[in-house]
Amino acid sequence: MARGDMARNDTARRDTARRGVRLHHPATPWLLLLPGLGVLAAFSLFPFLTTVHDAFTDARTLVPGQWVGLRNFRDMLHDEQFWVALRNSALYVVLVVPFTVLLPLLLALLVHKRLPGMGFFRSAFYTPVVASVVAVALIWSWMLDDRGLVNGILKALGAGPVSFLGDSWLLLISAMALTVWKGLGYYMVIYLAALANVPRELHEAAAVDGAGPLRRFASVTVPAVRSTMVLVGALSSVSAFKVFSEVFLLAGPTGGPAGEDTTLVMLVQRTGTGLDGRVGYASALSLVIFVIALLLMLLVLRAGRGGDAAERREERR
Amino acid sequence: MTRTSWAEKAFRYVLLLAVLALTVGPFLWQLSTSFKSTTEDVYTSPPRFLPEHPTAHNYAEVADIVPVWDYALNSLTVAVASVLTNLIGASTAGYALARLRFRGRGAAGLAFVAALLVPAESLVIAQFTMMRDLHLNNTLTAVVLPGAVGALNVLLMRNAFANVPREIEEAAVVDGANTWQRFTRIALPSVRGTLAVVAIFAFMGAWDDFLWPLIVLSDSERYTLTVGLNFLHGTFQQNPRLVAAGTVIAVAPLVVLFACLQRYFFRGAGEGAVKG
Amino acid sequence: MHPSRGVVRRTVRPAVPLLALALALSACGSDGGGGGGSSADGRIEGRITFQTWNLRAGYKDYFESLVKEFEEKYPDVTVKWQDQPAEHYADKLGADAAAGTLPDVVNVSPDLSYPLAKAGVLLNLDKEPVAAKFKGEYTAEAWRGNTLPGLDGAYAFPWYLTTGPLFYNKALFRDAGLDPEKPPRTYDELFGAAAELSRRSGGRTATLAGTPAIEDFGRYGVRLMDEDATRFTYNEPRGVELLTRYKRLHDEGGLDPQALTSTPEQAGRKFLEQKVAMNPGGANDLANFRKNAPSLYRNLGITDAPNNTGKPNMYVMGLAVNRNGKHKAAAIAFAHFVTDRKNQEAFAHRVAVFPSTKGSLDDPYWTKHDGTDEGRVRVASAKSLKGAVNYTPVVMSDEMKTILRNEVAKALQGKKSPKEALDDAVAQSDRLLRRK
Repeated sequence: MARGDMARNDTARRDTARRGVRLHHPATPWLLLLPGLGVLAAFSLFPFLTTVHDAFTDARTLVPGQWVGLRNFRDMLHDEQFWVALRNSALYVVLVVPFTVLLPLLLALLVHKRLPGMGFFRSAFYTPVVASVVAVALIWSWMLDDRGLVNGILKALGAGPVSFLGDSWLLLISAMALTVWKGLGYYMVIYLAALANVPRELHEAAAVDGAGPLRRFASVTVPAVRSTMVLVGALSSVSAFKVFSEVFLLAGPTGGPAGEDTTLVMLVQRTGTGLDGRVGYASALSLVIFVIALLLMLLVLRAGRGGDAAERREERR
Repeated sequence: MTRTSWAEKAFRYVLLLAVLALTVGPFLWQLSTSFKSTTEDVYTSPPRFLPEHPTAHNYAEVADIVPVWDYALNSLTVAVASVLTNLIGASTAGYALARLRFRGRGAAGLAFVAALLVPAESLVIAQFTMMRDLHLNNTLTAVVLPGAVGALNVLLMRNAFANVPREIEEAAVVDGANTWQRFTRIALPSVRGTLAVVAIFAFMGAWDDFLWPLIVLSDSERYTLTVGLNFLHGTFQQNPRLVAAGTVIAVAPLVVLFACLQRYFFRGAGEGAVKG
Repeated sequence: MHPSRGVVRRTVRPAVPLLALALALSACGSDGGGGGGSSADGRIEGRITFQTWNLRAGYKDYFESLVKEFEEKYPDVTVKWQDQPAEHYADKLGADAAAGTLPDVVNVSPDLSYPLAKAGVLLNLDKEPVAAKFKGEYTAEAWRGNTLPGLDGAYAFPWYLTTGPLFYNKALFRDAGLDPEKPPRTYDELFGAAAELSRRSGGRTATLAGTPAIEDFGRYGVRLMDEDATRFTYNEPRGVELLTRYKRLHDEGGLDPQALTSTPEQAGRKFLEQKVAMNPGGANDLANFRKNAPSLYRNLGITDAPNNTGKPNMYVMGLAVNRNGKHKAAAIAFAHFVTDRKNQEAFAHRVAVFPSTKGSLDDPYWTKHDGTDEGRVRVASAKSLKGAVNYTPVVMSDEMKTILRNEVAKALQGKKSPKEALDDAVAQSDRLLRRK
């Protein structure tokens, strides 16, 4: 494979580079990190400590909290809504992430090709990202309504009306479709940036070798954007786990029929907001979300890195 | 790419048009509603897609209720500042994480990952109290600060730098270039595509943000466009045409910005990045 | 982080951490929780801020001239008016209350003033002679509407009131073979007409787009809470009866299929789209119908909402005074000025709302028909306001409202009996109440 050859030729030079890169003043990296870490610590990590603290109190929005130890977490175990929400958020990750990793990549390949009008298509595909989710959800609920566009099409095909917005499972799936749709342009942009760094010569060489489009996708494109796929996978896992707006807007603020579509972040919103919210309990929920999301992300990154390492070993051989 | 067959081209365009209908349809609906006149029923079922008597009157009325230009200027100030701080902060941090070896690199990287997971909504009050203590509440600076260097942007830049073949930099090392020179002259030009993405994300995030500017600003003269346009959802008078016009005003600059940037950056990045 | 981080923020109402500590700190900063701020009976002077809730669109001139007039009357006072957008108002109030930056005069509804008063940031008007002396100027119902249980007083000057009739779609009535000129007036007639509508339209036309909320239980004559507002009681037999009737309505197809998830706004939109036959509304909806759904407006019928108690539901708005403000005398004077009879009536002439000042509703504007639909609704609503109550208990948090709504849905779906569902809702809500 072309990439392997390149890598082998370059091994010697790369070693020099590695040694060279280590030759910097010990303070340099921290100087470079200062703006980022500063903002991060001041406006994100430090305030988050208050959430961690509140998780162990019975604080309400405007009332000081008393230390209650693990009570909020024990309450969670007996909270029927918590388990429903955990199930829904987990399902969201499992069902949404494969699509948000693959579809935007395919879309990016489609508009990456140098054909007339690609600039227009790129911008157009990005509009769902910038359009307000409120407006978008409104139009989706029109389309999915009992007498909406989708049911009109189904009727023309002879299928009975499907109550997308009246059934808790169909609502959840509709919300997932909305999430995938809204993420298309967003992740496409990330892939486009990565594809811009893939030398076209690789593709052309493979084409000359007679590889078909599928082979080329599997053996050239995927390895080249592999680390980006891992990144997109990690990002979309976390955002799928923390899903809020799409479900909130389609299924309603109370989480669908009888609350069956409630997600974890919706539960945080429901319990912790308002001027009399149960901030302690909501903080405990936030902490649980944080920990699970962290594990999820590390899992995806680890899986991705494992693949990277294997690939690197292969290259060396 | 000269050997693309006619059939493949046709297939690609059919796909593109299908996705196009799916993605811009809702936006066109907003656009259409914003041009509907007051004599027209906007709640018909099935919905009517084209305005019967197109009018720009709704835009004039929006400008009448909300000082659109002042708010747009505030939004622009905030968004441009956010783009600059993000480009600088995310690229320096991303470069350090991807290219330099030092103790604590793993921990620093993990801190950015952790920040990505922190539920931003739960931090608002603590952030507001901090701004008040700094006497920055009710200023545009306070609007910019929390998002000045987005953790996601740092990770995107880290990823981009990590993907640049090392051989490009190594020649410079041999020539005796220092870290800063390698960063500015070699690494940065190689990741123009990702810089464009960071610029777009930063602009978009700052432009769209609602809750934080609402909380931290009290004078309505200092509102950003997104907050100001919320006044269109009046308590006693709902006019979906005005809301739609407001949406178009808020979104159009983003679409235009994206259209301009993508042309310039992606082409440049695709051609100039990896010749080594 | 997310494809639409900014947009998500727009809809998420945040969990607010450590507000309590911040609040405690800000209280230390002022005076440690004694009288707070300046004295209320001092000179009327200083610079005060006045915050309204989403009234800028359409009423900017009204408020600017109001401020000007007040400043002419009291040259030593400067009033800074600011208006907040509709969304996240509670979050904005929460942040300001925590940071000690609450405006001097704030537009609140009782469910917002209750937690603020409990946290000690609002002035108890009944306990402050300078403010209490104005009590007689407002109707007893309105003053009572702003009085908070367990907190021993009213915490806001009564401002505008809203109430409304039941709207129905004559065309849908006609299509189902019902007499469009004879709308239902009692619950029996309402449920009867609904059954007829769905039967004759073959299930195509639903009557209502929403499930019963706490106000509906109140109007039906269900006792919602005990005397001291410490326990919910809407699971009493009458409550179960109402829910059982709704269950039958749902089974017969009288509720829109999306009723279990619709917000009041979405229910209203279903009515605008002419998908449901009836919807409760306010006098101010007429302009909305005429403007946005002219074809509905031509077929609009108006009737009184059924009621078993003789007391219609109303929503009350008030102006609260910041207890820790620096110029309380000026703040009280201004809050009273905005809510005095002359200014309330002037405001209610511009918007289809109702003044809460004594005697106002005897004015011909609210008693004599002028031949227009607006006039008809206005007169009917004004008449019904005598004796109207705000049924929604102020201690019922949004979370408790969600609990009720979701348990009601379980009953309608047949997953629980109406009795079980209401018992569970009451048990969960009581647990939240006790944890305060």
